[in-house]
Amino acid sequence: MRLWSWLAVVACALAFGLVACGDDDDDGGGGDAEKAPTGQGAKGNVNWCIGKDTSGAYGTAIELFKKENPNVTVKLVELPESTDEQRTQLVQRLDAESEECDVLGMDTIWTAEFAAQGWLQDTTDVITPREDDWIPSTLETAKYEDKYYAVSYHTNAGFLYYRTDQVQQPPDTWEDVYKQAGANDGIVYQGARYEGLTVHFLELLYSGGGKVLSDDGQSVEVDSPEGEAALQFMADGIKNGDAPKAVTTYMEEESRRAFESGNATFMRNWPYAYALGKESKLADKFDITTFPSFEGGEPASVLGGINLAISAFAKNPEGAAAFIDYATGPEVQKTNFLESASPPATAAPYEDPEVQKKYAFASDLKKAVEQGQVRPVSPVYPQITEAIYNNVFDALQGNAEPKAALGKMKSDIEKALETF
Amino acid sequence: MEAASVAVRQKQKRPSGFSEGRLGAAMMAPSLIVMALVAAFPIGYAIWLSLNEYSVRVEGLSRFVGFDNYADELWGANKSEFWDAFKNTFIFTGISVSIELVLGIAFALAMHQAFRGRAILRATVLVPWAVLTFGTGLLWRSIFEPNLGFWSSMLSALGLPGADALWYGEDGYAMATIIFADVWKTAPFMALLILAGLQVIPEDVYDAAKVDGATAWQRFTRITLPLLRPAILVALLFRTLDALRVFDLPFALTRGSNGTTTLSLYSYNQLTSNRLIGEGSAIAVLTFVIVMIVSFLYIRFVGGNIRAMTEAE
Repeated sequence: MRLWSWLAVVACALAFGLVACGDDDDDGGGGDAEKAPTGQGAKGNVNWCIGKDTSGAYGTAIELFKKENPNVTVKLVELPESTDEQRTQLVQRLDAESEECDVLGMDTIWTAEFAAQGWLQDTTDVITPREDDWIPSTLETAKYEDKYYAVSYHTNAGFLYYRTDQVQQPPDTWEDVYKQAGANDGIVYQGARYEGLTVHFLELLYSGGGKVLSDDGQSVEVDSPEGEAALQFMADGIKNGDAPKAVTTYMEEESRRAFESGNATFMRNWPYAYALGKESKLADKFDITTFPSFEGGEPASVLGGINLAISAFAKNPEGAAAFIDYATGPEVQKTNFLESASPPATAAPYEDPEVQKKYAFASDLKKAVEQGQVRPVSPVYPQITEAIYNNVFDALQGNAEPKAALGKMKSDIEKALETF
Repeated sequence: MEAASVAVRQKQKRPSGFSEGRLGAAMMAPSLIVMALVAAFPIGYAIWLSLNEYSVRVEGLSRFVGFDNYADELWGANKSEFWDAFKNTFIFTGISVSIELVLGIAFALAMHQAFRGRAILRATVLVPWAVLTFGTGLLWRSIFEPNLGFWSSMLSALGLPGADALWYGEDGYAMATIIFADVWKTAPFMALLILAGLQVIPEDVYDAAKVDGATAWQRFTRITLPLLRPAILVALLFRTLDALRVFDLPFALTRGSNGTTTLSLYSYNQLTSNRLIGEGSAIAVLTFVIVMIVSFLYIRFVGGNIRAMTEAE
């Protein structure tokens, strides 16, 4: 008995100790708003923590920066390839107030969560001097509570891929897409129970004019007629066989393989599948277009991509700001686009003749990004997206009627919004 | 599981007041301290975390909530998620361990026969067990892929039913796929443990039985099985406790969709993806308690059995 109480005391003391060290040292976190870094007179080392440099884009950005800024050395700290893993690793570092990272490479959906935790510095002063450079929609992903906590680096928006040997003219509405899909070999998209399904549901919801949260972010509006139309449409698509039932197991790569093997007439996917498709046996049998409209609304897409942010615990915030400013500038944005097909967040590269020559779809992509909308901005986004994809998935699998699934989605999101 | 076996060991070696006992205690102290640091501290810390709530909205904010997180899971707001995960975990454990046991005995009997190449067979059988579980998951995922996977192509080429099923994407099938992958991977482990038990059964018992005219089946049920019992029980204990904590296979194959979210996966999601530290820790602690209870039951009933049997010898 005595041993137990002693152990409990020690455990609590240790636990308290750790929690307390977490609390002591708050001054790094977000509180420095008045001294937001601008990148003036930057020098020293900058560590850039971002996902694995599979395309070489990050290495190029560093090299170009080095030529112009000999005083600052940027070191790439590569995180794993999977986005979930990257987030886990960044959260671990930030939670521990690690000084390892100065610049953070973040998925656009992390901004609100990380900013709310006080892990990011205000980047308004990096953006404001050249705010017009960016495609306006992309900056929305860097905003939380009317302040910028990140800077848009690469963006992304989905495309509709279609078979030119089966479809003469790409349809103007999602309804027609499904009709033609049903008459031919169907449509594939990302329908597994994960973030990709949230994205596709939001694409239809936004196209029909619906939204998930009210403008103040306080109440849930997903159970609207638009929401019901979108979910009913997706569920019917599978029930009628316009989309194969197997899409409920598809992520990006599975969709791409199904399309490239000639098993589908349409595909919803990100631009990355274009270059790969052109190397497949389907090379001259497909083309891409921006999303059509739905329910008579305006066509809409959902933005993906990568933002760069300055860690609250950065040892060299000025250096970080200087690097971010440069990496989102014309030089890097154009070179990255040409080299690795990462769509730039700034507008100019899309108009560049060299880019236009290499990517026939550059103007289409820019249009898709311009009509792009953000996923709900909230510190509890992980729970919101879980509420969305779980219930959309249930409706697609036929385990719940779309209306009931939507009701459950609403209450699940409300539960998420009530999180402490 | 760890803690339970430690407790048992402590009980047996409790200092009895003799100087020898004290010496023993002193000699054990360093390892006990290490054990406390590496096992007891994380457990204690997880329990502490589970009694609090950590805000995901406001920087550095937390509050003490006592057992609220547990109440939420057991009968509150998250009870359906928790009990679903509980049910899934036990379905997985019950079915996979039973199949593994039967296959394990069969494999062990086959490997026990003297024949050329026996050593090679034993080594090959172990290969699935040596593969990283997450890798196994990805491997089966590609085999069971609905359109282009080997499994569906084979079923449809042979005209067998199930070719149209989404093997890891449909209720029922998803759990079956995970159980299949687990059996493939761990039946060999079961077989090896049981083989070890087989090898200590003396040959002359069988000879005597043969002389008395016992059939092969009688020899199996009357001699082999009873004498194998200790080995089987140990193998069962290992596998059951392992299966109750299953994480990697559902994580790689289904991400928990279609009724395959296990307790570990549920706790992982709440902890890492949703960053609900308090709630996730509460689920982890509940999982720990459940595993403790199961291992206690095993040690109590099964362990008692083994002891009784050894004493009878």
